[in-house]
Amino acid sequence: MASDIILGYDGSDGSKAALAVAVAVARAFDAPLSIVFGYEPNPMGGETADYKDKLEKIGQTMLAGALADAKKLDAGVHTEVLVVPMRPVESLLEAALERQARVIVVGGTGERPIVGAILGSVPHKLLHRSEVPVLVVPAGGE
Amino acid sequence: MTITTGDVGVSSVPEESAGKGLKVGALGLVSSLVIGVASTAPAYSLAATLGFVAAYVGIQSPAVMLLAFVPMLFIAAAYYYLNRADPDCGTTFTWVTRAIGPKTGWLAGWGILVTDLVVMPNLASVAGVYTFHLFGAHGIANDSSGFWVTVVGVVWIIVMTLICYIGIELSARTQVALLGAEIVILFVFAIVALAKVYAGSSAHSIRPSFEWLNPFRIHPIGALSAGMLLAVFIYWGWDTAVTVNEEAKDARRTPGRAALMSTLVLLLIYVVVSFAAQSLHGVGFLTNGNNEGDVLNALGTAVFGSPWNKLLLICVLTSASSSTQTTILPAARSSLSMAVHKAFPRRFADIHPKYLSPGFSTLVFGAVSVVWYVALDLLSPGDVLANSILALGFGIAFYYGLTGFACVFYYRKHLLKSFKNFIFIGLAPFLGAVILTVLFVIAIFYYSDPANSNSGTQAWFPFIHFNFTFLHQHFYVKKGLGPPLVLGVGFLLIGVPLMLLWMARNRDFFRRDRELAESVDSPAPPLTPGVTPVTD
Repeated sequence: MASDIILGYDGSDGSKAALAVAVAVARAFDAPLSIVFGYEPNPMGGETADYKDKLEKIGQTMLAGALADAKKLDAGVHTEVLVVPMRPVESLLEAALERQARVIVVGGTGERPIVGAILGSVPHKLLHRSEVPVLVVPAGGE
Repeated sequence: MTITTGDVGVSSVPEESAGKGLKVGALGLVSSLVIGVASTAPAYSLAATLGFVAAYVGIQSPAVMLLAFVPMLFIAAAYYYLNRADPDCGTTFTWVTRAIGPKTGWLAGWGILVTDLVVMPNLASVAGVYTFHLFGAHGIANDSSGFWVTVVGVVWIIVMTLICYIGIELSARTQVALLGAEIVILFVFAIVALAKVYAGSSAHSIRPSFEWLNPFRIHPIGALSAGMLLAVFIYWGWDTAVTVNEEAKDARRTPGRAALMSTLVLLLIYVVVSFAAQSLHGVGFLTNGNNEGDVLNALGTAVFGSPWNKLLLICVLTSASSSTQTTILPAARSSLSMAVHKAFPRRFADIHPKYLSPGFSTLVFGAVSVVWYVALDLLSPGDVLANSILALGFGIAFYYGLTGFACVFYYRKHLLKSFKNFIFIGLAPFLGAVILTVLFVIAIFYYSDPANSNSGTQAWFPFIHFNFTFLHQHFYVKKGLGPPLVLGVGFLLIGVPLMLLWMARNRDFFRRDRELAESVDSPAPPLTPGVTPVTD
């Protein structure tokens, strides 16, 4: 049975720091690593197809970079990437459910709590909603 | 190891290549309905329009609400079927490009952009006015193009643009709650007002009559078309329910039903509220200069009294906020789509790396809106509300009409294959488009007389004059054109030289042939080969 390490990745400094930690955790547990990028355009205002295509391409390019970075850190870890057309938090929860994840790793945003509350902080929401442990890696950590 | 790709919607690919996710059925009937109605923003639309409709057609405004519903419903069929073939970001832009040709398609895209732009001063102005009413500063609020209202309006546009830029979204549940409150308050307002009318406790009240629904009592035909153009605006936006169909749980049935239901909900709200509004104090109350631009405020005080009238004000403000959002978002997505297909400068396709919004498109649209709002305030002081809303009808009729024609064109080989095809893909969109075209043409002549626009005496381009008779209607321009005509049609016309300019530099987009639908159910090929990601 697979019990992946799930990493939320958006190209930010926090998510880069989280990548390094996630690779180390995957090595320690000898578990496969799934790197996830989630996106979902606001359905208000309708007509989203071209927008979605662009976002998906951005996700693919970003994850291709993340995959290369992960290989550089530890080529022995089985790594795969997922672009999921759901909001970031939902995409991580969904991937965790499907992969029966051991842990979800995300980068801290480094934003002040009030800004996070207004803009919607992924780590914050995950901590409340995830059924598996969540590991938050501060930007600049590691 | 093996990777399980179940039906939960997460797909994966082997290592060394980036993945592509699957679509997830997320939107149910209620969410689609909410999106459709919230995009239309009934409270704001009524606040901005009801007084002006009454000014044109008097006691027959419920008839106009009913009549304007018909072309909207017909065009909805066009949206529904075209969206099945190509659920593209640019909607009308893409569809018209495919069915009628790239030049017309480009102009249709331009039509969407300028229509979205023209509505912004009105939104900002209504938001400014109602903000001051909410805080009791009625003196400031009554001058709808005064300095302070403009300042608040500009701040409003900036804040809403930033919200779209950063991508803050209300949760679906908040959206449902806000819209629910909006509809409940509007109905409570109508019921209380009608109760007061029947109890005889309101001065100048008039008993409702079914004759108010009779469109044949509206004269002259120019007034009818002016009223219709205004009413077309109040239904504008519900097509969003159709365009989110990809995500719908039952993509074949949900969006169609949601769209139909949202038009019916809107129809009910508009007819009931217009009945209640005009029976309370008569038409004169709605059209007098102080109340015309913000009827819901004036009526709210008369119906609810303080402080309950604040409920109606808040409802207009939340409604205006969702309307601003549903104006900025599709405008930015349209320019994004045009840029992706090389019909617009490339920068408009830029996505903000962190917020994942169409950043450049969003900011440019916000900035141009602010400039345009302030400019209109200076050019046409006192009439921003009226002129922008009258001008809007032209843009909406233009691109909704083109969408109707595009549908008939695109599916023309399949119209006679079944009775259902003939009615829903052929006849309905065609009639809708014809009605809107006729409205457009009649309104051109009607508004060419500045006396018919709300600013009355103010005329632009006073050197223009002509007169002739067509279909027993006498059309004449004595001295100059009414501002709504100049704004509405002028903005559309600016598109022509801009398109030629773009054509001179970028021929690729314009070198394409018309397309035909292979069948009613087959998805269309990518508009620009290589732009839409390959699905394997």
